[in-house]
Amino acid sequence: MTSPLLSSSELRSGESMHDVALAVRDLNFYYGDHHALHDITLDFPARCVTAMIGPSGCGKSTLLRVFNKIYDLYPGQRATGEVMFDGRNILESSTNLDMLRSRIGMVFQKPTPFPMSIYDNIAFGVKLHEKLSRTEMDERVQDVLTRVALWNEVRDRLSAPAAGLSGGQQQRLCIARSIATRPEVLLLDEPTSALDPISTARIEELLDELKEEFTIAIVTHNMQQAARCADRVAFFYLGGLVEVDTADRIFTNPRQKQTQDYITGRFG
Amino acid sequence: MPHERSHIVSSYEQELEQLRAMVAQVGHIVEEQVDLALRAISDHDEAAADEAARRDPEVDELERDVEGLVIRLLALRSPMGADLREIVAALKITGDLERIGDYAASIARRAMKAAADRQISLSGLRSMGRLVSENLQKTVEAVINHDPNQAMEVWHADRGVDEYYVTLFRELVTYMMEDARNIRACTELLFVAKNLERIGDHATNVAERVFYAVTGENLPTVRPRGGAAAPGKNKDDAEPTE
Repeated sequence: MTSPLLSSSELRSGESMHDVALAVRDLNFYYGDHHALHDITLDFPARCVTAMIGPSGCGKSTLLRVFNKIYDLYPGQRATGEVMFDGRNILESSTNLDMLRSRIGMVFQKPTPFPMSIYDNIAFGVKLHEKLSRTEMDERVQDVLTRVALWNEVRDRLSAPAAGLSGGQQQRLCIARSIATRPEVLLLDEPTSALDPISTARIEELLDELKEEFTIAIVTHNMQQAARCADRVAFFYLGGLVEVDTADRIFTNPRQKQTQDYITGRFG
Repeated sequence: MPHERSHIVSSYEQELEQLRAMVAQVGHIVEEQVDLALRAISDHDEAAADEAARRDPEVDELERDVEGLVIRLLALRSPMGADLREIVAALKITGDLERIGDYAASIARRAMKAAADRQISLSGLRSMGRLVSENLQKTVEAVINHDPNQAMEVWHADRGVDEYYVTLFRELVTYMMEDARNIRACTELLFVAKNLERIGDHATNVAERVFYAVTGENLPTVRPRGGAAAPGKNKDDAEPTE
């Protein structure tokens, strides 16, 4: 379970259709003494949805945390290897974290709206990176809220507190907030696990539209969700990457027995 | 078997076992139907002919049950990987087996009509019947044992059935040209031969499903066929209408 098993023809077709947005090479990650990720090598093709699946503790969320260097906040956590993004290894200490996080956005499991108005939730992050006039900011807010299919629901109460929205609306607001800074990559850590099926379907539909423009990496425990949303699926187990392939291949005929056992519910 | 491990959810495993048992049962009944139909031809055994036709509703009912269980499994278990392949294959295999049963019943009915008056050599038809029956038996075994190698063997062996069909076709046409009074019996026997050939084709379909379900790979789309220049190779020819 060291290297992604990708047929050469798939690699070729993948490369011809999509550039690689994030290229992970020999990545190892440590929580103090705990070696959480082992020699991960994996490409995230641009404008594709890549889903990461695997049992709890397999390292999939850890990998997402590496991409926007959230781990940097915690002493004792460290990563070795390379994560190439726009020609640079983001693991290097010289990486500008504010800039990195504006280009690689993240949405968490539970909706995390800021304790401010709907409008300000979106404007807040934009103001950190761009100087926009009021009109431009209004346009940006409307644009991202429209794209997450929230505009019609909140257009009359933009100054109301975001906490008053339903869970599904809050999560869409968080996605709107993430894309408002116009990132290239969107990281989603189980974004619908706290949502009802209708809200989940809306988010999945949204992913389908967002991938036209963004590279999306999603961690999910819901295999049907991975099957519905993802172009590519990576299966992790015990901190290693077992297999990465098209969603079609992974869910109908995976190459590795561990993947087969996991997706058919035979994991012991 | 595709899996050494059992499913974590034991009721899912039980339903899969139930599905396998039902498909195996359809396979065994259809095998019997074909053997009865062949006996009806060889021995002019009217009771065997009746029995072959009598079992048809049983197969139809089992086919409906398999379909119901498959839909239930797809809806409630969201099968993936090898499970998904096996469940979809079970549905299609049962459909092919049911058609084989129909052909067997059709052969049994025609056997009685053909036997009526003329004495025509049935040795070619008997040999063809033996090969078809043997292939079908191997096919059902491949289904039950999830054996892709046996499936592949059957898939190749159907070439022999096709060759028999071509030879029989020529033979029967010759009988008809020799004496117009042979036409009625020979026409019935031609249909019998065609139905046997179709049974062989459905058996190879089943073999292809088994191979895909177990390995995840498809057999080549073009099967090596015997008697490619045979008349009436159009698959719609001589379908039983009963």
